[in-house]
Amino acid sequence: MTLLTHELRLLLRSRMALLALLLVALLAIASVAAGMTEVARQRAVIARIQPKQAQDIAAVAQWAGKTQDPGNAAYYSFHATWDAPAPLAFVALGLRDVAPYILRVRALGLEAQLYDGEAFNPELALPGRFDFAFVLVYLTPLFVIALIHDLVSGEREAGRLRMLDALAGSGRHLWARRVLLRGGLLFLTLALPVSIGASLSHVPLLPLLAVLGLVALYLAFWIGVTLLVGRLRWSSVTNAATLAGLWLLLTLLLPTIAHVAINRAIPVGQGVELTLAQREAVNRAWDIPREQTMQAFYAGHPEWKDSPPLGHAFHWKWYFAFHQVGDESVAPKANAYRHGIEARDAAARSVGWLLPSVGVQALLARLADTDMQAQLAYQDRIRAFHTRLRNYYYAYLFTDKPFGQVDFEGAPRFDDM
Amino acid sequence: MRAITLIARDELRLMRRNRVAVIAFALLVLLTLAAALISWSHQSGIAETRTRFQAQAAEAFEAQPDRHPHRMAHFGNFIFRPLPPLAAFDPGVDAFTGNSIFLEGHRQNSANFGDVRQSSLLVRFGQLTPAFVLQVIAPLLLIFLGYGAVARERERGTLRQMLVQGVSARALVMGKLLALALVAALVGLPALIAFLLIAGQPGALAGPMAVIALGYGAYLALWSIIVILVSALVRRGRDALLALLALWAVLVILLPRVAPDIAAQAHSLPTRLETDIAIQQDLHRLGDAHNPDDPFFNAFKQKVLRRYGVDKVEDLPVNYNGLLAVEGEKLTSGLFDHYADRSFAIQQAQSRLTDGFGIISPAISLRQLSMAAAGTDLAGHRRFLAQAEAYRFAMVQHLNQLQADAVSYADDKAKDAGADQRKRISADHWQSIPQFRFIAPTAGDLVTASLPGLGLLLAWLALALLALLPVARHLQKARP
Repeated sequence: MTLLTHELRLLLRSRMALLALLLVALLAIASVAAGMTEVARQRAVIARIQPKQAQDIAAVAQWAGKTQDPGNAAYYSFHATWDAPAPLAFVALGLRDVAPYILRVRALGLEAQLYDGEAFNPELALPGRFDFAFVLVYLTPLFVIALIHDLVSGEREAGRLRMLDALAGSGRHLWARRVLLRGGLLFLTLALPVSIGASLSHVPLLPLLAVLGLVALYLAFWIGVTLLVGRLRWSSVTNAATLAGLWLLLTLLLPTIAHVAINRAIPVGQGVELTLAQREAVNRAWDIPREQTMQAFYAGHPEWKDSPPLGHAFHWKWYFAFHQVGDESVAPKANAYRHGIEARDAAARSVGWLLPSVGVQALLARLADTDMQAQLAYQDRIRAFHTRLRNYYYAYLFTDKPFGQVDFEGAPRFDDM
Repeated sequence: MRAITLIARDELRLMRRNRVAVIAFALLVLLTLAAALISWSHQSGIAETRTRFQAQAAEAFEAQPDRHPHRMAHFGNFIFRPLPPLAAFDPGVDAFTGNSIFLEGHRQNSANFGDVRQSSLLVRFGQLTPAFVLQVIAPLLLIFLGYGAVARERERGTLRQMLVQGVSARALVMGKLLALALVAALVGLPALIAFLLIAGQPGALAGPMAVIALGYGAYLALWSIIVILVSALVRRGRDALLALLALWAVLVILLPRVAPDIAAQAHSLPTRLETDIAIQQDLHRLGDAHNPDDPFFNAFKQKVLRRYGVDKVEDLPVNYNGLLAVEGEKLTSGLFDHYADRSFAIQQAQSRLTDGFGIISPAISLRQLSMAAAGTDLAGHRRFLAQAEAYRFAMVQHLNQLQADAVSYADDKAKDAGADQRKRISADHWQSIPQFRFIAPTAGDLVTASLPGLGLLLAWLALALLALLPVARHLQKARP
């Protein structure tokens, strides 16, 4: 123990080591703070929209309630959905800056609504966010390299190596002690801010332990690489240059090359193809006999087939039926589009087995529930909600039941999900 | 002068002998060429798909049968953002903005299907383009090749020898700088070749290309100076290397990420939901189309009746519903423009704040210059959105006018069995609507937009050059 405190004193006496550790601590604290601010902002936005949404529905209810027409109610009522950030989201903001976390839908065709984007400044999204995942994946290896690359070579260059090796007893464990000390201090400077952030965000213990485990593993990987390069008995400068080159390769170059390769290998049937087909299907309904649409609709939804036949005049149930038939006709395309995205995501995650940088980024985003899977899960929740919306309005439309002001309050709400 | 070239030649010979340096240099050249090829084929692939979809959408629009004009306003049209020719060099925000937009009556849709939402997480690690290689990786190579240039002489004691032999410190520094600058020029060469390839494409403009070449030249020259400066200031080579790596990590990797975070917190953007609701409320305030006694629409009706000198809308020579649609579209579109301007003003403030960080990070200045000159920045996206909205308005108003002129009011109101057929007008009308043509920015627009970044970069360059003087003086003192 006294040896360890002695080593600690030695380490901290080096101005560069102290500076490096302080910088890591500062960056980790800043990134956790930035992540938590962003998550808090997103939560505030979600809270802020609720009264506005209620006001909007009330305004629609005021005039559409008077008409008692369920078609007006269904057509003019937009319903809010939202994807609240998970407690751990501050660690890795993932896709949450470019994919919407609030989306309004109405009971019309969903495929024309599901892929709408949120307003965001693309120039801000371009470089990626400053979050803990960034500090860990990109910056921490640089500090590992700075602190450990000259562990042995530095002593050799200072002419102390022979003496240190000759020291009885302490010599054998000297290097292990020094590595553990440096690794341990790095781990602490990273783990403390993230643990404090997690406890403030009410993150359960298990996910937090998983994050800390990832931090430890990633540190261990880079320390291992640094020690391996150090065994080659090169000079400190060559060690530093080689390690910086490796860092560049593993965190910047190979992931970008893998990105190009994956997008090449797995073409995603462009989402726009799907929308074009859906629009064709929906608008064709105006040109074909209306009975044809109704038959197609009733075939899939026999529960409404006893609805009275259509007259000459426009009827909303036909309008909503052809929107649903339009959605159903492009369901295979929608599935293919989604599978393509999932395949790309899976391929990127398997790249993570080869590239620790990618692996850690992917796992952190998974733990934080901010990755592509989280996005798709949100889309699934919207789909389920949309189905409930449709069924709610259909119950009025297909039985010609008047839709009064109170019925607006009975509409499904996203938070009931 | 002779001393400078001699020193430069000597330094270059040393670099040539350093096998690691030669390999690193060769790798970077290969990487630039590979990035240029990949990026070019990627961008032409995107351009090809977008052109194909654009043709398909236009064909579908024109192939629509006889319809009520308002049905066509809702059938709408898809338009695709064409890529500027320089996007193969610097795609900028292209992957982050949607690349298609659906245009329809009284609704402003967002651009969607951006690549970032249909690619894996790897897209966030950066894209392999010539711009990325030059902005991020080339400085790193210069650091590795040049960190020891002056520090090495000092460490080995040769610096003192040279000074004693009458070589001035200034000549030494300039010679080392000349050598590194030559390497930097060679680093930039493959990108220049890629650039020439792009120049062969139609639509590539000379002015912006010259600005980009100048900007990247200044950037690489700046890094050469920074490397030599640090190498001359620091006592040992390894300290120079670590200091330069730290500088690079902060200027090129860290600051470009921190700046947007600060900008996003400083200027918050309203969500689409809030904007949509606000537009609805404003519309309601202006005039309520659902209310038969609404003052705004009543006044409009009176005005129309007066203009045609009739008492009832049924007596109008045109279809009143069509006129209402024209007026309503004017109202909603005015609001769309208002809110879009507001959102864009906020985004612009965010971007300007981010660009301001170019004062402390030349990488940010270069990125701004590069995207602006390539036409792939936020302003480039905005240019597309503005033209798309103008096209949408013209198309919808044309259809609304058709409803006023070609569909009779009586038919429009009728609900009998044959009414649906009588409301339809000939499909020839859709075919005569002109297709969307993107008007590309002029060379002058692009160059002007890139000036702030270029100005900051040149200021950095001038400052770094000035800093060389005291450093040379400081070195001179090393003489005993």
